[in-house]
Amino acid sequence: MNIISLASRNVRRNWQRSLVTTLAMAFASTIIIFYGALMEGMVRGSEHNAVAMSSGDIQIHAKDYRDDPDLYKRIIEPDLLTHKIRDAGFRAAARIYGFGLMATDSSSSGVQLRGLDLQHEQEVSEIDQHLMSGTWLRNDDSHGVVIGKKLARQLGVALGDELTFIGQTADGYMANDIFKVRGILKAVSTAIDSAGVFMPEESLRELLTLPEGAHEIVVIRDDPTVDLKVATQEVAALAPAYEVLNWQQLMPVIARFLETANVQTLIMMIFTYIAVASVVLNAMLMSVFERIHEFGVMKAIGVRPWQLVRLIYAETILQTCIASLFSLGAGWLIASHYQKHGMDMSALAGDISFAGIAMDPIWYAYITPEVLITPILFLFILAALAVIYPAIKVALIRPLDAIHYQ
Amino acid sequence: MTDQNNKHDTHSPLNAAVQHPIVRLSDVCKTYEQGKVRVNAVHDVSLDIQHGDFAALCGPSGSGKTSLLNLIGGLDVSSSGTVIVDGIDLATIDGSELSEVRKNRIGFVFQSYNLIPVMTAYENAAFVLNLQGVDETECRDRVMATLKAVGLEGLEKRRPDEMSGGQQQRVAIARAIVTEPAIVLADEPTANVDSHTAESLLDLMEQLNRQQGVTFLFSTHDQHVMDRARRIIQMHDGKVASDHAQAG
Ligand SMILES: Nc1ncnc2c1ncn2[C@@H]1O[C@H](COP(=O)(O)OP(=O)(O)OP(=O)(O)O)[C@@H](O)[C@H]1O
Ligand SMILES: [Mg+2]
Repeated sequence: MNIISLASRNVRRNWQRSLVTTLAMAFASTIIIFYGALMEGMVRGSEHNAVAMSSGDIQIHAKDYRDDPDLYKRIIEPDLLTHKIRDAGFRAAARIYGFGLMATDSSSSGVQLRGLDLQHEQEVSEIDQHLMSGTWLRNDDSHGVVIGKKLARQLGVALGDELTFIGQTADGYMANDIFKVRGILKAVSTAIDSAGVFMPEESLRELLTLPEGAHEIVVIRDDPTVDLKVATQEVAALAPAYEVLNWQQLMPVIARFLETANVQTLIMMIFTYIAVASVVLNAMLMSVFERIHEFGVMKAIGVRPWQLVRLIYAETILQTCIASLFSLGAGWLIASHYQKHGMDMSALAGDISFAGIAMDPIWYAYITPEVLITPILFLFILAALAVIYPAIKVALIRPLDAIHYQ
Repeated sequence: MTDQNNKHDTHSPLNAAVQHPIVRLSDVCKTYEQGKVRVNAVHDVSLDIQHGDFAALCGPSGSGKTSLLNLIGGLDVSSSGTVIVDGIDLATIDGSELSEVRKNRIGFVFQSYNLIPVMTAYENAAFVLNLQGVDETECRDRVMATLKAVGLEGLEKRRPDEMSGGQQQRVAIARAIVTEPAIVLADEPTANVDSHTAESLLDLMEQLNRQQGVTFLFSTHDQHVMDRARRIIQMHDGKVASDHAQAG
């Protein structure tokens, strides 16, 4: 009789206990698979939000511009540079920025004006898809603007309302003009939500009397599988006079958080598994103690300690296999449901954001091979560790004591 | 659960002419220390068990029968003296070799709960053969023949909990003899069955002894069982009080 069938009979022998043990393992790893998929989904979602909504993969600025966003710290001949970058296999769009005050009859707020090259902007960002209400900018609507949702709330404006801009032109004169709110964005990031005013590039140039140059060039990899660091170096080589940084360098807090998200899953898993390990340990200890006499007889008639250890391990691994299959199935089902439909968190938490980046209120899970395999791998490690002590117990049974132990 | 079959043929019934005793005990002592009390469970015992013996260890409770059987069976080590089983001095070998000796040269029948509950009669009887690595067809032939010999033909698929105490002991006997061990050690094999069953178990053992030459050493309290033995080893306070042959 082979060890697997002996082990499986022993597992079925006290089937209630085996069921509880197996379910505990299955339940824990299902939870971890689901949790891991949610974390993965959050990471991908946030990365997407951070990159696709505003930062892009890589940004080019004049040196020092980010520390001191002076209107004159510009990228000279941005069209030339964006052409070169596009020829190198990227998508690129130039942006210009300005600062000032937006006012209504009753209130005002400091704003960041964002002048976009509408044609190319849609190649590098999805912000035009991210409207809560209204429509996106149009080149033929030079005084139409799209604003952040908090700014809209703060100024108390709705679609179609007028805003008065008060600021300074590049040459030091007073700048002011009236704009119409055409669209209000969904949550994007703290900066955009509370101060972002988007308008066509030409309108902003006119307003600020800024005939040429750009403050920022946003670059996206055409092929997202290209390594970000490598891509950054390539772009940097094309723009040696400027500061070239990728989004991980621009938003180190978020990058770090996203990088450590899987560590968080790991920590969650370890704590959950420690609880399960105690269930497994207890169950196996009980099952070993119940069979001391039997193991004693087996040893007396010539079974070696390592053979009993193998049997105990076979019994445990059998249960772990069943638990794994179950949790792979259940975890995959649950996670793929939420990958498709998402979990609507808006009722629960309103606007969710962290480190300045807004999250979609619909939280999608995302299944990767690691999300499925890591919890299973660790489940086996857990089971193997938990059963060391019972296995040692069995190995050390003296047949003489055991035979007289009933 | 198998490993190398290193069983030798020296003790098969065909080699009955081999002259060395199967078991030779010389000045064997076993002392237990319980706290400050020292118990001489086995005290200066010297005796031989010959091939073909059908011997009973008798004596009052606490006289050392179980202790002596444990020493012979390699389940315990003597405090002094030598225990030689099938030519091997048990004091000179390590735990794993001892385990090999038990597997290949000794058959054990315990008082009760001998069998592995999740295995059928057949599987229990085949257990040690599997450990020895005997190939499947040979194993099958030997187990079926042995189960038939112990009167369990047709019950091969029964689990222990589907058999009577007597039937379970028959399976235990089958498991003990199917490997053709040098000796079968049985510690009160009939203590947990009724007298009628005890009688038939003894019939079986005696028949196996006479027909197949299986050497038996069993302990007992029971006068009826003693009467069936051809050799009576009487123990008292760990010593052999008498050792004589009788007509079985
Ligand atoms: N593990 C042990 N530790 C201490 N003393 C023991 C141990 N095993 C046996 N003894 C003692 O050794 C003596 C012999 O015991 P043993 O079990 O060999 O007797 P026995 O003849 O088999 O008795 P019974 O007929 O009751 O089975 C007894 O006094 C017993 O108390
Ligand atoms: Mg006894």
